[in-house]
Amino acid sequence: MSFLTIDNATKSYGSVEVLHRVDIDVQEGEFLVLVGPSGCGKSTLLNMIAGLEDITSGTISIKGKSMNGVHPSNRDIAMVFQSYALYPNMSVAKNITFGLEMHKVPKAERETALRDVAKLLQIEPLLDRKPGQLSGGQRQRVAMGRALVRNPDVFLFDEPLSNLDAKLRVDMRTEIKKLHQKLGTTIVYVTHDQIEAMTLSTRIAVMNGGFIQQLGTPKEIYDTPANLFVATFMGSPSMNLIPVKILEENGGLVAETTNGLGETIKLPFAAPPTGLKDYVGRTITLGLRAEALTDPDGADSKAVNLVTVKNRVIVMEPAGSDTFVMTEFGGQDCNARMRADVQVAPGEDVDFTINMDKVVAFDPETEDRIV
Amino acid sequence: MSAGSTDTAVRTGRITRTALYLVLLLFALFYLLPFAIMVINSVKPLTEITGGNMMALPQDWTFDPWVKAWATAQIGVDPTGLKPYFWNSIKMVVPAVAISTILGALNGYVLTKWRFKYDTLIFGFMLFACFIPFQIVLIPMARILGLAGLAGSTPGLVLVHVVYGLGFTTLYFKNYYQVFPTELVRAAQIDGAGFFRIFWRLLLPSSGPIIVVSVIWQFTNIWNDFLFGASFADFDSQPMTVALNNLVQSSTGVKEYNVHFAGAILAALPTLLVYIVAGRYFVRGLMAGSVKG
Repeated sequence: MSFLTIDNATKSYGSVEVLHRVDIDVQEGEFLVLVGPSGCGKSTLLNMIAGLEDITSGTISIKGKSMNGVHPSNRDIAMVFQSYALYPNMSVAKNITFGLEMHKVPKAERETALRDVAKLLQIEPLLDRKPGQLSGGQRQRVAMGRALVRNPDVFLFDEPLSNLDAKLRVDMRTEIKKLHQKLGTTIVYVTHDQIEAMTLSTRIAVMNGGFIQQLGTPKEIYDTPANLFVATFMGSPSMNLIPVKILEENGGLVAETTNGLGETIKLPFAAPPTGLKDYVGRTITLGLRAEALTDPDGADSKAVNLVTVKNRVIVMEPAGSDTFVMTEFGGQDCNARMRADVQVAPGEDVDFTINMDKVVAFDPETEDRIV
Repeated sequence: MSAGSTDTAVRTGRITRTALYLVLLLFALFYLLPFAIMVINSVKPLTEITGGNMMALPQDWTFDPWVKAWATAQIGVDPTGLKPYFWNSIKMVVPAVAISTILGALNGYVLTKWRFKYDTLIFGFMLFACFIPFQIVLIPMARILGLAGLAGSTPGLVLVHVVYGLGFTTLYFKNYYQVFPTELVRAAQIDGAGFFRIFWRLLLPSSGPIIVVSVIWQFTNIWNDFLFGASFADFDSQPMTVALNNLVQSSTGVKEYNVHFAGAILAALPTLLVYIVAGRYFVRGLMAGSVKG
């Protein structure tokens, strides 16, 4: 029995179904991130878990108990909102203990809980202030304190970091991760930022158009995306997609395409997915992460199947830790992630090494990964 | 807005500025003149008014007209002064303002945070109340007050003013709560606060400016109302405005203009006081709803 079960849940507004048959099982202590572009239904799903929106059909249960029709305050959940939603007329201390007061927790207990949470989040000096007198990061902490103090079964986070500036966002991200490791609580976290999703989660649900596109660990999502949407949405820069023709040669499968010099090149598969045989003679989409396309010295030495081809450099972008080099395969611009100190210049023809262990193949019509 | 006007002021010359202030001063004088005449003549003996210049300062300063207007002037049949009617007005205004403001706040809260089917339609009807002239409701209202057994009583007047003011107060609070973040209400729901708890603990404490607007508006309107007071009140529940009319209209003996002036100022004093105390919040509250919404 899993901790939080979303079973066949749908949501409709009138005749428009915005969330289609969602099935997710969340284990205790898991950090599930719902990620997707705006309008994909991720916040709706979170609000349904919270009880702020009804479920049109299906069930959501926590600890095996159905939550359909249960009031938000009786679900043993706590939520951190994007705008923090701190009560402007109450002090920080009152903000944090308001929920306990509403649940008729005795005053002495409230005080102890408040002190513990304030210490954990290092907001002790702020307790007498009003939310208006706090900085963005401090408000964020108070909002988390308000959730933590309830000690709920499930924490719900609705894009909690999107109002912070870039640096603070990274700091708070680490802090949330630390908190999760320390407290081992179950968290459902909504974001549109795929880096947040990758770094924080134990599992990710990628959503688009009201459907769960893929549910898996960050590594599964990144290395073996279920379809073209997941492949391009997750990862920065996004996955290179190259049209290739599948040929059979010497009993093995080969992907044929062109490089930026107009030459035909052949990329042999070492361990092609079994389904790929059916595509011999047809054109498919080959997915290649930027780090699987690099300079020969930067290639993964543990990789089994490395192919080196010459190609032309179109643009070079030094990013400090890496150098991104844009080149062309099969008429498509491709990003290569090279070492920081690599010596290349635009217009130059240099060696690119492709890690064929890491390539994924997609059916261009269904857009699903070929397995 | 103020920054903009300062900018242009810097560019205008000294002469233009002087002219500007002169004109403004003139207008201010123009508006203050009637009030000044009222004050001056209310502290004169009657002989100075009838025998001389209305504009002249009093030679004998006297507060007798004030005392008379307040305590002993002939109003209707009894020489009671305005005093009992002043208290009638207070007994009517305070509950009417409080109830209409609280109900308006509740309406605004429901119409913005607990949306339901056809809520905009209902709000539209309530808005309609703002545009109905007083005279139209006189007869139906009299019938309803009669049926409710409230005819000729202070509670009856309170009811009339609450019903009439509700459209305005609802409009104020709805606009104000429109920009109040719904996430706060949701957070409070998750924290376990119910419908009224959210209202009392969260929304109402954040509504200072708009409460001031509603109170000033309602207080001024209800205090100054003459028509409802004259139509629906008995002798023992008549408000100040009706009593003032009776004072001025009473036909026995000489017209005591100084007493009339003192009475008129007495009748205007409470609204003046409310505006002076809360006036600076008035503009702030009006802006708070409009700028963001």
